[in-house]
Amino acid sequence: MWQKWFSVKGKSLFSIAFSLHRLTGVVLTIYLCMHLAYLTSIRMGKEVFESFIATTVTPQFLIFDILLVLAGIYHGVNGLRLILHEFGLTYESRKSILYVSVAIVLIVWLIASYRMYTFVMGV
Amino acid sequence: MDVEFRIRRFDGEKSYWQTFNIPVKRGMTVLEGLYYIKENLDGSLTFRASCRMAICGSCAVKINGKPRLACETQILEIGNSLEVEPLDNFKVIKDLVTDFEGFFKKHEAVKPYLIRKDDNYEEPVELIQSPKELHAYYDFTLCVKCGACYSVCPAAATRDDYLGPAAITAAYRFNADSRDEGEKIRLALVCGDNGVWRCHFAAECSEVCPKQIDPAKAVQKIRFKSAIETIKSIFR
Ligand code: HEM
Ligand code: SF4
Ligand code: FES
Repeated sequence: MWQKWFSVKGKSLFSIAFSLHRLTGVVLTIYLCMHLAYLTSIRMGKEVFESFIATTVTPQFLIFDILLVLAGIYHGVNGLRLILHEFGLTYESRKSILYVSVAIVLIVWLIASYRMYTFVMGV
Repeated sequence: MDVEFRIRRFDGEKSYWQTFNIPVKRGMTVLEGLYYIKENLDGSLTFRASCRMAICGSCAVKINGKPRLACETQILEIGNSLEVEPLDNFKVIKDLVTDFEGFFKKHEAVKPYLIRKDDNYEEPVELIQSPKELHAYYDFTLCVKCGACYSVCPAAATRDDYLGPAAITAAYRFNADSRDEGEKIRLALVCGDNGVWRCHFAAECSEVCPKQIDPAKAVQKIRFKSAIETIKSIFR
């Protein structure tokens, strides 16, 4: 059933954008729950929280953070595109707006990844 | 030139693939290929068609993964091997024939006809319309109810009761008609739980529509109207 949301064989870029939006929406929701649980650990004391930080703000975790940021940026930018179209606006330019959205996602993601890389690696 | 037709068949119980090799001439359509198989190779092959000129909407099938009208798709434009399947999101009855009962019911449900207070069939009056008023809805009248749009819609894939792009487009076609007075009635019909708010703008319907009538556009236009009406109703 729900697998059909992600069947992209023979579909256009618009359907792929829909599947990715749904996927990233679910990923972000799961992340949000994990993130809130993580933050709540400060109630168990400063040491517990800082030991969490020490494990996750590390080069090993960087790849996950970079992927999460990609999911977040994609969901946000594509979400703005959807809001625009779902208001009945700019329907005719939907192809170019999709391409521009993808370009914005990639540019912002590369900049963010570079920033995170230099922060975690301390370079 | 010989072309391979791989057809996904269904006999009421099981679904299976069958391959046929048929001689193809330039200009021959997929529908003609299906007729060739039925007449010369396997009389039990079942498919639906009527007009053979892209106007009745009976013959939509999936050809190499994309829904198209078999009667207006030329075999050699696709290549020398074809996969033909029934449309997705519809129940398969036999081979390429799917059940359109629900699809037509949804169309009927949006009241796709002029609604007027002064309906008088004994003494009909001519309703004048300017070319501009005609073009406000004309493109959307071209729908042939082929179901291609419905078959690729992710909302229809998981909600049997979703009205779907074609029915909502029909509602928009009449709402945008200057002679019509039924906009409020139709808005109430398409803005419910099974209506426009189920659309997530995958916009695939517009990509596959053989008449290029942009059903996704009609859905968004009517959705916007629905949002405005809902906000207005709060202050009423
Ligand atoms: C920049 C911020 C965000 C924007 C602009 C945005 C925009 C949107 C839009 C417009 C939709 C509906 C799309 C549709 O019509 O199908 C949506 C769906 C969704 N969003 Fe977001 N969103 C944002 C952030 C988030 C965050 C932080 C989360 C997770 C906590 C999230 C989770 C979801 C989920 C689960 C869906 C449902 C997915 C679906 O129906 O396909 N979103 N978002
Ligand atoms: S809107 Fe297009 S794809 Fe959908 S039923 Fe009508 S003609 Fe077919
Ligand atoms: S047979 Fe009528 S549309 Fe193809």
